[in-house]
Amino acid sequence: MAVDTAPTVDVRTRLRQVPVQELVLPVVIIALIIVGVIIRPGVFLTSDNLLNVLTQASITGIIAIGMTFVIATGGIDLSVGSVLAAACIAGGLLAEYGSWMFMLGAVGFALLLGSINGLTITVGKVVPFIATLAMLTIARGLALWMSDKTPISLIELGILQGFGSGRVLGVPVPAIIFVVVAIAGWVLLNRTTFGRRAVAVGGNRSAARIAGIRPGRITFAVYALTGLCVGISAILLSGRLASASPVVGNLVELDAIAAVVIGGTALTGGKATVTGTFFGVITFGLIFNLLNLLNMPAEIQGIVKGVLILVAVALQRRD
Amino acid sequence: MSEADSPLLEVRGLVKDYPGVRALDGVDLTVTPGQVHCLIGQNGAGKSTLIKCISGLVEPTAGEVRFEGEPLPVGDPNASIARGIATIYQELDLVPHLSVALNVFLGHEHKRGPLLNRAAMHRETAALFARLGDESISPTASVSTLRPAQQQVVSMARALSHSVKLLILDEPSAVLDDVEVEALFGVVRRLAAEGVGIIWISHRLGEVGALGDVVTVLKEGRTVATELPPDTPIDTLIGHMVGGRMDALFPDRGPFRETTVLEVRGLTRPPDVYDASLTLHEGEILGLAGLVGSGRTELLRLIYGLDPAKSGEVEVGGHRLPPGRPDLAIRAGLGMAPEERKSEGLWLDWSMIRNTSIADLSRFRRGPFTDRAAERRDATRHLRSLNTQPDAPERPARLFSGGNQQKAVLARWLLRSCRVLLLDEPTRGVDVGARSEIYRVIADLASNGIGIVMVSSELAELLGFCHRVLVMREGHIVDELDGATSTEEDVLRSAVPVHHRAKAG
Repeated sequence: MAVDTAPTVDVRTRLRQVPVQELVLPVVIIALIIVGVIIRPGVFLTSDNLLNVLTQASITGIIAIGMTFVIATGGIDLSVGSVLAAACIAGGLLAEYGSWMFMLGAVGFALLLGSINGLTITVGKVVPFIATLAMLTIARGLALWMSDKTPISLIELGILQGFGSGRVLGVPVPAIIFVVVAIAGWVLLNRTTFGRRAVAVGGNRSAARIAGIRPGRITFAVYALTGLCVGISAILLSGRLASASPVVGNLVELDAIAAVVIGGTALTGGKATVTGTFFGVITFGLIFNLLNLLNMPAEIQGIVKGVLILVAVALQRRD
Repeated sequence: MSEADSPLLEVRGLVKDYPGVRALDGVDLTVTPGQVHCLIGQNGAGKSTLIKCISGLVEPTAGEVRFEGEPLPVGDPNASIARGIATIYQELDLVPHLSVALNVFLGHEHKRGPLLNRAAMHRETAALFARLGDESISPTASVSTLRPAQQQVVSMARALSHSVKLLILDEPSAVLDDVEVEALFGVVRRLAAEGVGIIWISHRLGEVGALGDVVTVLKEGRTVATELPPDTPIDTLIGHMVGGRMDALFPDRGPFRETTVLEVRGLTRPPDVYDASLTLHEGEILGLAGLVGSGRTELLRLIYGLDPAKSGEVEVGGHRLPPGRPDLAIRAGLGMAPEERKSEGLWLDWSMIRNTSIADLSRFRRGPFTDRAAERRDATRHLRSLNTQPDAPERPARLFSGGNQQKAVLARWLLRSCRVLLLDEPTRGVDVGARSEIYRVIADLASNGIGIVMVSSELAELLGFCHRVLVMREGHIVDELDGATSTEEDVLRSAVPVHHRAKAG
């Protein structure tokens, strides 16, 4: 009996050694590009269009990089979309003092709200799902209240708009910043003790404590870090819109989590990849772009996105 | 009577490989109906793996299991149950908040239409208890309210609720006191008299003569003696279990120095530890003995700061540790190898290198970055110094045997150059063959001046190479013994609570 099953086991083992997890997204991305070239030749594969994809994806993408660290520790941050709006408004209230004060206000407020998430989770011992769910409604409320439910015009802030829609050597600034944040995130995760410790806490909290890591500090830091990323996104978003709106950022949290998860970071924590998150963001960006080029309605995009999440994650969890 | 002569269970040449370990290496075993067959062997000898193969939880790599003359399908627990094999494991698998009767009939409940027929289940449960000779348990009681001994009886009733022909008990006496063990003997004898074959696994060699019909000894996954009569002298049994190299197992005790490295005064955390004080010297190996639940593990956790102490203090090298801060304990020179190595000691998917470097990452910091070449070099050096096999430090810890995983935990603290190591059951889940190597590693660490506090449930281990042994009972340190001259009886006399001590020694 054992002799009969041995060869199958061998094939299965060998199949398992194929790094499916790392291959899924590049294959999907190449497939999407091929489809794009076939159905929209001359439009899809232009540097303008591809840079457009990167620019469109940058707001969610930067947040997804921070989210990767949160999920690496086994946590989740549902508040990022609302905090994005609150940060835009906090900056907007300082708009009269100029672009730099706007940025300081937006980043500072997002960092503050992220830190409050970190504190309620570590000191208050509220589970991340609930703590950030509460922050989701609090931050949205703050955004609406502080703005009196009215968008704030930022038309005077030239420098800020430069961040949102300017170009350097022909490359849109948001795309550059997204790539820079992604590289910084990669270095932080893979080349610093902080990144190693974040994954250690997510992988085995008890073992981390016994090895002298203070899980509370790491946990606090990843939520604060995500707040920082949200603040950067708020600058890019407000700059692009030339206004600070209290209703932006709806469902950004779900897009960010989806990108992290199809990238191969485990929702249970302990395994994280910034490269995967980057490709996840690009994948969603390409789908959005393709369906737009085909004039597909938004509801079709939702269906395609959902199916892709299921297929990608199912393939990655084969073991 | 012809039935009694043909074997109920025949195990032939059973082999089970796990990654990195061969748990079973050719086991033979024959059980006849109505026989109480005692299975003994050291921890890691393969007893648990063997019964998991018989009950279908584990699929053997090679070999054969025949039941009533027919081959038993491997790796199919339902088939084993259907054929009449019932197993009661060390960890009782009852559902605490369900009633006794519902636990007994869990998975094959009596129903009336779509609804549970509670009355019928209560009636039959009572009948099963009568058959077991223990009618003190109410079928309607919640299992969580029962004592361990009563829960054991519920597990047996569950086994009998199927028509059982072979009953396997994995260390049933481990959690029971002597009176309860005697009652359990009675139940087992009744079942054997009904023609049920029994496999009784135990650490207590005294039970073998009192209960068994025949004895089989396992060692390092092999049957080393079988069909021994129950009156086999205990010395002979031990001889089979250790293979006549008991002395070679333990390294010599080196001398230790006068310098105190760890001083614990009046450490208290109710209800686990009360007023524990101890002094540890450089190079000393201090054993902590006691029954399960006596507070040994909890004391280690308090010293290390994993749990905050209510009162008392810990000093390392004259430096007082704040309570509840393992990171500062480590900075002061402490290190710990926890009992639950896989769930508390390691990241199984990480390489051995990462598992080794994790407690001292700051050492590899170069500016904002980690110097991974230095990390690899230093971790590998320490893993090699402990002779970690296979010599593949890039491979994930999951693929290593228990003994080699333990070496990764020890290498972690060598890398950190700790002064005091707290070891909780350092050889649990380690093959007997690899144990002597762990002992040697520990003795080497001590001879380099590291002070060691070691918790162990195996008295032979504590008395084999500890300088001193402290005995804990119900949260208190009650005795201090000299490791070289004391006997297992000395330890047990202090460790067993007074009200259970009627039959000790």
